[in-house]
Amino acid sequence: MDGAAVETPIASSVPSRDGPGFFQRHGHLLLLAPGVIWMILFLVIPLAMMVYVSFWTQTTFAIKPDLTLKSWTTFFASETYFGALLRTLRIWLTVLFLTFLFGYPTALYIGQFVRNKTVQTILLVACVIPFWTSFLIRVLAWRPMLGKEGAINILLQGLGIIDQPIEVLLFTELSVIIGMVQIYVVFMVGPIAFMLARIDDSLFEAARDLGASPMTIFRKITFPLSLPGVVVGAIFVSVMVLGEFATASALSGRKVNLLGNIIVTQVGSLKWAFAAVIGVVLTVVMASVITVLLRVVNLRREL
Amino acid sequence: MMELIRLTKAYKGVPAVRDVSLVVQEDEYLTLLGPSGSGKTTLLRLLSGLEKPDAGQIHLNGEDVTYRPPYLRGLGIVQQNYALFPHLSVEDNVAFGLRYRLIDPVTDDSEVKRRVAETLELVGLTGFGGRMVGQISGGQKQRVSLARTLVTRPKICLLDEPLGALDANLRERMTVELRKIRATLGVTFLHVTGNETEALAMGDRMVVLDKGGIVQADRPDAIFSAPSDVRVARFVNTYNVLTGSGQDSVFRTADQLVSLPEEAHGREVGFYAIRQDSVEIDAAGTVPEPGRTSLQATYITSEFLGSRFIYIFRLPDGGVFEVERHLSHSDPVTYKGGETCSLSWNLADALVFDPSGAALETNAFKGAA
Repeated sequence: MDGAAVETPIASSVPSRDGPGFFQRHGHLLLLAPGVIWMILFLVIPLAMMVYVSFWTQTTFAIKPDLTLKSWTTFFASETYFGALLRTLRIWLTVLFLTFLFGYPTALYIGQFVRNKTVQTILLVACVIPFWTSFLIRVLAWRPMLGKEGAINILLQGLGIIDQPIEVLLFTELSVIIGMVQIYVVFMVGPIAFMLARIDDSLFEAARDLGASPMTIFRKITFPLSLPGVVVGAIFVSVMVLGEFATASALSGRKVNLLGNIIVTQVGSLKWAFAAVIGVVLTVVMASVITVLLRVVNLRREL
Repeated sequence: MMELIRLTKAYKGVPAVRDVSLVVQEDEYLTLLGPSGSGKTTLLRLLSGLEKPDAGQIHLNGEDVTYRPPYLRGLGIVQQNYALFPHLSVEDNVAFGLRYRLIDPVTDDSEVKRRVAETLELVGLTGFGGRMVGQISGGQKQRVSLARTLVTRPKICLLDEPLGALDANLRERMTVELRKIRATLGVTFLHVTGNETEALAMGDRMVVLDKGGIVQADRPDAIFSAPSDVRVARFVNTYNVLTGSGQDSVFRTADQLVSLPEEAHGREVGFYAIRQDSVEIDAAGTVPEPGRTSLQATYITSEFLGSRFIYIFRLPDGGVFEVERHLSHSDPVTYKGGETCSLSWNLADALVFDPSGAALETNAFKGAA
């Protein structure tokens, strides 16, 4: 500091030393560069490539960069492929609704009813214990549970509740939904519990003091204030479910084909252009879902 | 009218409120003064029903409401941190109680709007209804919080350090406004504070709390001029309190002797208090006139407070002695640091307390009574 003060009169006569240096003037660009380069290399270029490739001409054994709409028309004209889009959307909505239905009360319990911070953390960690094992094992573990001679059927038969094993449990859309809900419900619980735990107790006290009953307080205070958590959870679940393929193929016996499964088979048979079309469709669907969800709550203001 | 009967509450074995009995009248401004940790917030939470007492009763207009939940009590609490609902506009915050209370909610939306507008006008926030809570200042939040409580017409409005988070300027303005608002509505205000000036200035009546119990409850001027306990004398922050022991006609403190008022001769005295503004500063060794007594102390520094000066002295035992001089009474005098001065006062102005802290009857008390 002292040195700078002494140098001032000299520096003023030499403009280049007086003004801020190159790093000071362009420092923010320099700091921005790694992120921007990373995003361009690994997000913008691949996305652009995907869109570009979706218009290429596909023959049985080769793909040529001659632009055509053929892959696109095939997708929307085909019952199988367009049906897969509708099925994906239906399963996504069901799973989203069910993860909310099971996740919200769990989060409410952890975030509001458990007052001890340590116990809260322990319970949240307990929710992610299934993640200590591989994703595929978690999915496949449902087979001995839901199968014709699986745990649930044996138990129900043993208790004499049913005579015949329930067959719809495995290798149906139901088993896919059960598997997905179990795997993804945690992503709903976490953000909501976090949001609920952050609400200041004095707000509930104020509402009670103003004469509101516990139910009214939940409807008017607790739920609206936890909404950002619900939206974040919904975004997590949506993005993961929309791109799913492993759960669907493992628990449906390849009967339930989601968009993700079609991409896998198309890539497997080197149909790059068609896989790219589905990729673009999935990206558009996810982008619109996220946009709509963000409209519900202004996350930038809330977080 | 609210009656507290021997209210007691402990947290994990540590008593926060003990054996508090008090009658809160209709249409009065009652201030509760106590240092932090004296149990004043706990007492407020017991009254509002946010906490349940371990023992004792609360009667509201003759009804026992001790264990009634807050939403059925009809009291209003304005919390220290305002506790505004961050997802609602100012208008919806204020309307919350009217719309959503369990008993007798106002369903007519135009009626809600009318009452909200009326209350916002009362607290001086007309035109702010549409703003979000995040877009208003601290002082405005405080008014919204007050309006939200007042709009429900509570029987008693409990205020937990309402001016604590405001800057000095705003605090002074709100002091006047709170009294005005209260007078307009005729609602009883029970105002908890840790600030003695606030308690003295605002209350029709004032209660001093210490360690969970009531030490004194009286008019502010009576408490100010005749504290019943040495702790009260310390809280009001305008007394020099000397610790020592009485020996017949003199009081020994910090190896010096000061005369005791005649009424205290021969009695057991543990504390001696003299108001900061009844003390004269003379040159060292000045012999006090008859009816006065003096003490030698070392001058340290002075503090200029606009209309007055505070001179700070050190006693031989390290204790601090402050003298207040109003500039309207006398011109400021400059002393040298380290200079020894003689501090003298009228014996009639002195207050004495027995070793347990209770006040002994003296002339000063009779004068006040």
